[in-house]
Amino acid sequence: MTQSLGLGRAATLLLVFALGIWVSASGLVDSIVTYWEDIVYLTKQHLVLVASSGVAAILIGVPVGIWLSRPSMEKYAETVMQIFNIGTTIPTLAVVALSMTLLGIGFPPAFFGLFVASLLPIVRNTYAGLLTVPAHLKEAATGMGMTRRQILWRVELPNALYVIFSGIRTALAINVGTTPLAFLIGGGGLGELIFTGIDLMDTGMLLAGAIPTAALAVAVDFLMGQAQLHLIPKGVNPLR
Amino acid sequence: MNITVKSALTGLALAGFAMGAQAADIVVGGKNFTEQQLLSAITQLVLEANGHNVDNRAGMGSAAVRQAMENGQIDVYWEYTGTSLITYNKIEEKLDPEATYERVKELDAEKGIVWLNPSEANNTYALAMRAEDSEETGIATISDLAQAVNDDSDLTLASNAEFYARADGLKPLQETYGFEFGRANIKRMDTGLVYQALKDGQVDVGLVFATDGRIPAFNFTVLADDKGYFPSYALAPVIRHEVLEANPDIGEVLNEVSAKLNDEVMANLNASVDVEKISIENAATQFLEDNGLI
Repeated sequence: MTQSLGLGRAATLLLVFALGIWVSASGLVDSIVTYWEDIVYLTKQHLVLVASSGVAAILIGVPVGIWLSRPSMEKYAETVMQIFNIGTTIPTLAVVALSMTLLGIGFPPAFFGLFVASLLPIVRNTYAGLLTVPAHLKEAATGMGMTRRQILWRVELPNALYVIFSGIRTALAINVGTTPLAFLIGGGGLGELIFTGIDLMDTGMLLAGAIPTAALAVAVDFLMGQAQLHLIPKGVNPLR
Repeated sequence: MNITVKSALTGLALAGFAMGAQAADIVVGGKNFTEQQLLSAITQLVLEANGHNVDNRAGMGSAAVRQAMENGQIDVYWEYTGTSLITYNKIEEKLDPEATYERVKELDAEKGIVWLNPSEANNTYALAMRAEDSEETGIATISDLAQAVNDDSDLTLASNAEFYARADGLKPLQETYGFEFGRANIKRMDTGLVYQALKDGQVDVGLVFATDGRIPAFNFTVLADDKGYFPSYALAPVIRHEVLEANPDIGEVLNEVSAKLNDEVMANLNASVDVEKISIENAATQFLEDNGLI
């Protein structure tokens, strides 16, 4: 097992190395570097979009997921989740375009479109995570005389935390990858380089937008993975 | 064995069928804004009316559509003389409209691309402001704008992706007039949204196309290009040499269409789609019927 992993890793490194040689030989690196100023400026815009819409989605999504998992909502929760599921199938580009018709052009519609796109996985995972907390734990907590609120905070949420984190991780990955579309509605971000590169058949410019976008997605995913590993207590963390 | 032969034959038959289904003899290209989508649709309809089998591939960036034609993936589309002169052929000298057309005709012939007759429509890039703003600030020319930007008035510009980075685009324009919009004052977006952004007051200046119907409809003032920075952007059909050789009738038909186009006709066509929200196909059909071309 470890050996095959080592081989896979070596092959990957070799592949990356070969790719690097090819890219530098083709002069793409130089053309990417010429856009450095743009990359820095647009990466900031990109990050602001991702962070603001991501945080807003977490702040709204987690409470909504909790609320749907309460016994009083049991009758309606499945219906609401189905509506959310249907919502997930709407292409993000359409969500962005629709939010433009509501909110005009620039940052607000881009923020809103990304917020909606990130909301669904967070709500779904929060709801599912809370539902899968074993019933005997909740019964034991009731038996110990805990109030409903105490059960939620001390038993249910810690046990569901891992699943909730996975939802947030998925949402942020989708978010980073979707943010380039914000360019189309004047929201800025790395999409400017990508779409201009497509229009002008300028591979260097296109990659100057695409590579940082991909790097951001990987970085965000890595950070979330680390957070999942270290922030979730040992007893309820399958990773530790 | 028998089954193998049968399935091989079936496969062949299917492949043949697929080929048959794709056997459009003419591929029409087009760029990614209303006028170009209209022209692609007009070209498709008029060629179909003349018995051709047409594939319509509108919606690409300038460079992409040009590259596709050079590679033989696209047979015919509508191009602007100035775009070919500066962006594709990298010619920097200033030429009048006729000379521009003659020069690109000559240069592109070497690449197997034929320029048919130019129309009277000149769809130049232009910078526009809301009419009331233009009056209030006294900005009527691009020189006035340069002055205003240099005097530190915090004006914002909406541009599309292509213009921002083109050889006949924003950066050389700013060099010619000696001013510079700050990076944060340039908002880039889809071509069609610029008009809405300017109308809604989200920006002060917008990059527009001279033949766009929304300029009069939204009451914009086009700033005069007083230093003559922009070349002539006469609209003309371009076609691959081999395709024209094989179908000389296409050249005749498209020249007929080209003869019917001028700034006003183009602006009205664009407005019928962008302002009155008529579908591209209906607007194209209407135009061809009105001019007795189909």
